[in-house]
Amino acid sequence: MSGATAKAARMAPRGAVALRAPALNRGAPAILAAVALALVMSACGSSSSSPSPSALVKSISVSGIKTPQTESLTAGKRGGTLTVLDHEDFEHIDPGEAYFTTDYEVMYATQRPLYSYKPNSFATPSPDMASGPPEVSADGKTITVHIRHGVHFSPPVNREVTSADVAYAIERGANKNVGNAYFENYFGSLVGAEKANGGPFPGITTPDRYTIVFHLSKPEAQVVVDALALPLSAPVPEEFAKQYDAKSPTEYGNYQVATGPYMFKSNGEGKVLGIGYEPGKSATLVRNPNWTPATDFRPAYLNEIDIKIGGDTNVIGRQVLEGSDLVQNDPVANTIVQLAYEHFRSQLQVSPGAGDHYIAVNNKQGPFANIDVRKAFWAALDRTAIGKARGGELVTNVMTHFLLPEIPGFEEAGGLTGPKVDYNEHPEGDLAIAEKYMRLAGYPNGKYTGAKTLQVVGSTGAPSSEVAEIANNTLRSLGFKTKLSLVDQSVMYSKYCGVPAEEIDVCPNVGWGADFADGQAVLDLTFSGKSILPSANNNWGQVDDPAINVAIEKAQLINGQQARAKAWAAIDRELVADAAAIPADWDKEAAIESKDVAGVGDLWNVGAWDYSFTSLK
Amino acid sequence: MSDEPLLRVEDLRVEFPTEDGVVHALDGVSYELRAGATLGIVGESGSGKTVLSLTTMGLTRGLRARISGSIGLEGRDLLALSERQMQAVRGNDIAMIFQDPMSSLHPLFRIGDQLAEAVRAHRKASRGEARARAVALLEMAALPDPERQALSYPHELSGGMRQRAMIAMALANEPKLLIADEPTTALDVTVQAQILALLSRLQRELGMAMVIITHDLAVVAEVAQEIAVMYAGRIVESAPAGQIFSQPEHPYTWGLLQSIPTLEGSRSERLVPIAGAPPSLIDRPSGCHFHPRCPYAKPDHARIDPPLEAVVGEPGHRVACLLAADERRRIWTGMR
Amino acid sequence: MTRYIVRRLLWGALLLVLVSALTFVLFRVLPTGDPARLRAGRSASPKVIAAIRVDLGLNRSLPEQFWLYMKGIFLHFNLGYSYYSSASVRSLIADRLPATISLTLGAAAIWLAAGLAVGIVSAVRRRSKLDRAAMGTALVLISAPEYWLGLIALYLFATDIGRLRILPGAGSYVGLTSDPGKWLTSLILPWLVLAATNAAVYARLIRGSLIEVMGEDYIRTARAKGLSERRVVLRHGLRSAINPVMTILGLDIGVLLGGAVLVETVFEIPGIGRLNYDAITHSDFPIVQGTVLVAALFIIVANIVVDVAYAYMDPRVRVS
Repeated sequence: MSGATAKAARMAPRGAVALRAPALNRGAPAILAAVALALVMSACGSSSSSPSPSALVKSISVSGIKTPQTESLTAGKRGGTLTVLDHEDFEHIDPGEAYFTTDYEVMYATQRPLYSYKPNSFATPSPDMASGPPEVSADGKTITVHIRHGVHFSPPVNREVTSADVAYAIERGANKNVGNAYFENYFGSLVGAEKANGGPFPGITTPDRYTIVFHLSKPEAQVVVDALALPLSAPVPEEFAKQYDAKSPTEYGNYQVATGPYMFKSNGEGKVLGIGYEPGKSATLVRNPNWTPATDFRPAYLNEIDIKIGGDTNVIGRQVLEGSDLVQNDPVANTIVQLAYEHFRSQLQVSPGAGDHYIAVNNKQGPFANIDVRKAFWAALDRTAIGKARGGELVTNVMTHFLLPEIPGFEEAGGLTGPKVDYNEHPEGDLAIAEKYMRLAGYPNGKYTGAKTLQVVGSTGAPSSEVAEIANNTLRSLGFKTKLSLVDQSVMYSKYCGVPAEEIDVCPNVGWGADFADGQAVLDLTFSGKSILPSANNNWGQVDDPAINVAIEKAQLINGQQARAKAWAAIDRELVADAAAIPADWDKEAAIESKDVAGVGDLWNVGAWDYSFTSLK
Repeated sequence: MSDEPLLRVEDLRVEFPTEDGVVHALDGVSYELRAGATLGIVGESGSGKTVLSLTTMGLTRGLRARISGSIGLEGRDLLALSERQMQAVRGNDIAMIFQDPMSSLHPLFRIGDQLAEAVRAHRKASRGEARARAVALLEMAALPDPERQALSYPHELSGGMRQRAMIAMALANEPKLLIADEPTTALDVTVQAQILALLSRLQRELGMAMVIITHDLAVVAEVAQEIAVMYAGRIVESAPAGQIFSQPEHPYTWGLLQSIPTLEGSRSERLVPIAGAPPSLIDRPSGCHFHPRCPYAKPDHARIDPPLEAVVGEPGHRVACLLAADERRRIWTGMR
Repeated sequence: MTRYIVRRLLWGALLLVLVSALTFVLFRVLPTGDPARLRAGRSASPKVIAAIRVDLGLNRSLPEQFWLYMKGIFLHFNLGYSYYSSASVRSLIADRLPATISLTLGAAAIWLAAGLAVGIVSAVRRRSKLDRAAMGTALVLISAPEYWLGLIALYLFATDIGRLRILPGAGSYVGLTSDPGKWLTSLILPWLVLAATNAAVYARLIRGSLIEVMGEDYIRTARAKGLSERRVVLRHGLRSAINPVMTILGLDIGVLLGGAVLVETVFEIPGIGRLNYDAITHSDFPIVQGTVLVAALFIIVANIVVDVAYAYMDPRVRVS
């Protein structure tokens, strides 16, 4: 797909930053000796022992544990206040900036994008601000959406939402003061998008108060339609937001109005900061007085949601499990997952499709440019050990190909067991098969005999560091000499693995999550040769197979979910045949609630509790 | 004045168990002191003179010391008193001043406050009364501008003034007995004389007995009426002051006298130190403790403990020596 | 004395400038996360990251950034704005300071009292079983990680998750002005945890100091005056022994006012330490710079206070 290099916006592995990493293992740098501040963290790594998975898990849901697919959406009781304990703060609460699991939890309760998802669905969005499905023209270059009547902004704006508000919301994505991360990637095909800077541009028109039309320069309708389920399309009143969007960076988030059933508590002028949101401390959602249930599919049982930020994950976990009216809505410590599984099983929810982790190897230069060496590494790696390090059967599945569970095309690509190739057959690792491929690669003894020392860069903190060790040892067992460096995760991406010029050979701690349920959201930026960038690169292995590149370009233009599923599944199989990267694990995310909470988790948001559907018993 | 001595020490023995062995600090000391009299106790370090005075004050209790014998103050055995009873005696009936007034006064309290504290420890007095008395005491101790001195800290005074302050503090409750442990050793020579004069005057004015402990014979020559010489935990000789100087009986005393520089002697006259070193108090020489250093010792002096006996013909003079009296006289005459 | 204080204050101001400069440089030079990238989210395109970088003023030269920053602080007391929430750093810090102050001063009072009590008893009964037991316990407490102690305290005593549910648990802190009763009870466990380690240190300190002092000549004089042993120890002995301890106390409080991160995290107390830590993980420079500056200020002031107090407590020092 031409212009792919221009589509530089990455997908957020938006869960990946928060997944599996207890807050204290982020590896903070120590403070100055000059002021003798003792701020050294004692890493409170929580490794856990888990029931031993000696064979592949056959089904996603471990028996007896609820998942978002099994929870009832309509049986809730009205009333009450839910208290949420999060040990991490939001990244952004401005709908134009929000791009993080925890952000989404409040965004989708207070804002109504054109489309959003019901908790038990990831593949099929429901019309939210829109009144019906989008109308795509035959040539795939025009998308028409009608919006509902009678939806009002919360105080102090109060008036009815019009299509102009939706237009402004998407336009401000291009405003540098807002700095939306995915505008370029998903809305870049709109006419005039590359010149947009926050004001109107030809790609978006509003023929009447309740209609919005998107004009594309390329027939990439599917991606745009999918992206309309992201918070950017939630309406924003221009006359109210303008003054805040003029500030650099924008302050609209601190003064936002809502269209959803809940809103951030605010004062008369609509100020949220310090009232409904105290950074690092708390947030409070109250009912939006101008929301009408008749216009929404959300039941909104709760009267209020109090979010308390900070603390230790272990303590929070216990408080939730043993207390009442509490949930935790960010990553649960592994020890707590174990505890819940053993003693509080009915209060535990595990959600599939929460992203993956794999090992990127340098396809362009070095020993791994050879396909057989890549296959050898795949065969030798003990993926069950990696799964154990990340928390075991409860929260991982052995990864066998590159699409994620819940993504259309997953089953066609091989499902949980994956394609039947010998290097994929033994998740515990099979050195014999590995050596066979090493011999095919030209090393008669089955072990590497070259001179190069591999540069391996992973991230600090448990369990990433343990996974990096496992990978490192596997490389050694194949005869490689390695230099393993562990750095802070953000540094790993921004300075090493995401920079091709660094010529890193192996990145054992990379991972990805899907923005929406489409193969493109998983495989495009990570495996297309056209997506390779000199910095902020997400094709960490620099995979550049011409056949695969062509297949990806073609698949981007297909319309219709089933057809796309087939196309992306085929690409996935190609990637497996090419051993483009080494899969490690598919993540499931655990969430916990108190015994008197009827929590409903969002399948499309790593199972995070949905405030609009959760209720108290 | 009654005939009963103010202080009667009988066969006082003090031992301290230590990691290296038992230290025999006092090995059967007996003496008497009349009210108003001055006794000088002379000896090297390790002779037991300080332990003797501390034990008299009851300040060696609790150091796991084994104390036996008796210390009679006006008939009361101090060793039999409880700690609380002893606290009523200290600073009240018996007072003590120490060698180094800089380290012996609390550096963080004003002089006047420390004196007032001494007053209020033993009698009821209001703050103001105690303070007034403190100033009066300082004046009695001949401190210039006593009002201002009362507000000073110890480090703001000169050595001599500090010692005067300490003396004033010790006399706050008009004790019957003052023990002065090396009161002038830390002071300049000129100041020494002043302090000694002060002590004498105060003693007369208050009618109190005094024990002066020193290693310096010259000091006791001035103020003491009676002198006791101690060696290795025992009194080896005691006599009226004049007799110690004119007719010393113990070889150790001879050694002490010979090692004193005098203004009269010629410059070429060499000082004669006592040969040898003070004995270990853990592993003392048997028999006469001095025999290893005594030029005149005979073999069986290592076996026999010399008792402290009166010297014939000299009232009040006692010596603990196994040499025959005339032999001693002969030796001494030869040395002079 | 006034000249001395003024001199120290000026020197302290210079030190603050140096500290600001050092923080500033360290965070921009060391391989930490790029704040623009972190703010944009890892997925953002280079164009977006560049735009954010301009927003945050990171595209200017380092010296220019530093100059603007310094000017802001020393002329306007403006500590900048958070890269994330755009809240003013000064207001964030002012908001968090009361919690840290409550935590620090309460804990200090407890550990001083406990340390004194145990230290004095241990010193007076040296080598007794009591002394050995106390010093042994102290050694264990000093070695125990604060974080672990905090977790243990919660798992034992917290009303929500403990075995004996007697004290409020994590997250129960409220400001003094909103509910004094709840403020007090919510701080008991954090105070005890924070005090535990320090009490042990101070007990050992005071024990050592007091033992040394009790061997001094003036103690003997005090006894010779006929004072009760209690008065000798508590008035004469302690008065001297406490001086070095007081100076250390001042410094410890100064350091803790910069934030006791571990205790604040475990007990979810919204203090400066936690604010600082969160800011570090986000590379939210303005907050980090602000908190470091505030912490440095506390330490500098503590140093000055301690020096002046020492001169007040020990008259011998004043002469120089």
